[in-house]
Amino acid sequence: MLDILPQWMKDGIGDDLLFWLGYFTNGKHLTWYASVQYTLAAALFGALTALVMGLAGAALRNARFGPARLVGALYINMVRGVPDVLFFLFFPLAFEQLVELIRAQAVCTPEGLAANAGQWPPCDAANWFLGTPEYLALACVSLGIVYGAFAASVISGAMNAVPRGQLEAARAFGFSRAQVLWRFHIRQMWIYALPGLSNVWMLIIKATSLLSLLQIADIVLWADRLGAPNFTRSAGLVHPDWRWGYYLVLLVFYILVTFLSEKVFAAVTRWAGRGMSVANPA
Amino acid sequence: MKTLIIAAAALAMLATGAQAQTVRIATEGAYAPWNFLDDSGKPAGFEIDLGNELCARAALDCTFQTNEWDSIIPNLIAGNYDAIMAGMSITDERKQSIDFSDNYFPPDPSKYIVRAGTTLDFGALSGKSVGVQGATIQAAYAEATFGATNTIKAFGTADQALADLNAGNVDVILADGSYLSEIVAGSSGSLELTGPDVMIGGGVGVGLRKADDDLEGKLNAAIGEMKKDGSLDALIIKWFPDKAPGPIFAGG
Repeated sequence: MLDILPQWMKDGIGDDLLFWLGYFTNGKHLTWYASVQYTLAAALFGALTALVMGLAGAALRNARFGPARLVGALYINMVRGVPDVLFFLFFPLAFEQLVELIRAQAVCTPEGLAANAGQWPPCDAANWFLGTPEYLALACVSLGIVYGAFAASVISGAMNAVPRGQLEAARAFGFSRAQVLWRFHIRQMWIYALPGLSNVWMLIIKATSLLSLLQIADIVLWADRLGAPNFTRSAGLVHPDWRWGYYLVLLVFYILVTFLSEKVFAAVTRWAGRGMSVANPA
Repeated sequence: MKTLIIAAAALAMLATGAQAQTVRIATEGAYAPWNFLDDSGKPAGFEIDLGNELCARAALDCTFQTNEWDSIIPNLIAGNYDAIMAGMSITDERKQSIDFSDNYFPPDPSKYIVRAGTTLDFGALSGKSVGVQGATIQAAYAEATFGATNTIKAFGTADQALADLNAGNVDVILADGSYLSEIVAGSSGSLELTGPDVMIGGGVGVGLRKADDDLEGKLNAAIGEMKKDGSLDALIIKWFPDKAPGPIFAGG
């Protein structure tokens, strides 16, 4: 990695610093830096799923049809009480087994079923191998379902906060129900929902540190591996327990992400508040 | 939701179809010099060298992947990979759920490691904190021998156990002697071996699904060949210098 540096630069840096530069840019560390993609992907797609689930949940919660309202209320109230770690462990496993159960109906032969009697999957052909991309997708959906309930609660409250007079005026101008919903209700809802949604986003960011539970080699797992003491010369640099240093880097990383998120949300809030009668919170 | 399940199922079928030709070997990647991740982040070590040699001799196309130790047997049974080479001792308990190839490492004594200067009375150990890696032969032995009067702490990886020994959170660790000897040498005097050797386990072999008799036969043939021509001994001595000069398997 450092071979690309010209000799005069190497001389200027000095051997000690050069050694550490080399150590922190070896393949293991580069893999660690690259693994941030899983964290960011899980946060972005998890948040996107949560937003969709939140809008759907809020729509159900405020629906005119009684049973739909019940489903919405159940989703919001029950899923918010589920620990995210538990759901992270439960949902991917349950989904995998459900897919395998459905596939087993189609692909299993009687011999295959007999060979695997009392075991899972029902037969070898029905087995679904989960690699990192599959686990990442399931992690995003898990995050989306859990935090979608929070988002639904926030959005549902924000929908109710939009002044009735605005909607009545829109109807008086002859807009249809759907037009009132999309052009007035949802559009004015954002300014009330954003403070709450920014909170949910922070929770999702923090929950991405759970990815290693699903065997995804994310930044937390690599920090653990790289920081663990190594006394075996053949396995690389011999060093004592350095995990605190690596965890510290992660803490700084998460604080930086929080800081950047605040800036982005401030900008979005300014955008959502343009032309609104409420005082601009930003 | 329905289309999602169908799409996922279709994707999974494609994935299984494409992977059917190669033998996927799982290792822990945190148990040097048996298996570890080298500076480039790829699995390396004694078992990776051995596995590649066995596969070359058996004309198999092999890839290594890492899996955490405590789920390494369930994931083999679930079919996430086809074999385990992770310093796994052959025991009767494990044989109830998986099969093993012939051993490629002889039965090896487990040893106690402590911070330098610690003296322990292993005949009457009490009130101590004993560290082990969870779901290992040492964990079972420590629980049975010291569990009544001491605290047994099970760690996810052997590295984590060592980190806690170093930090003073456990008093002693019981682990494979083959794993500990290079650690003592590399700790520059801060850690040392103590107490009696403990003989448990029946050597180390490749873990396989019970139904995979064909793969087991091929691997056993390759292991037998490497034992006979001395190349297995040479590989063991390369990674475990304190086993020199042998012979270990060669010449009976």
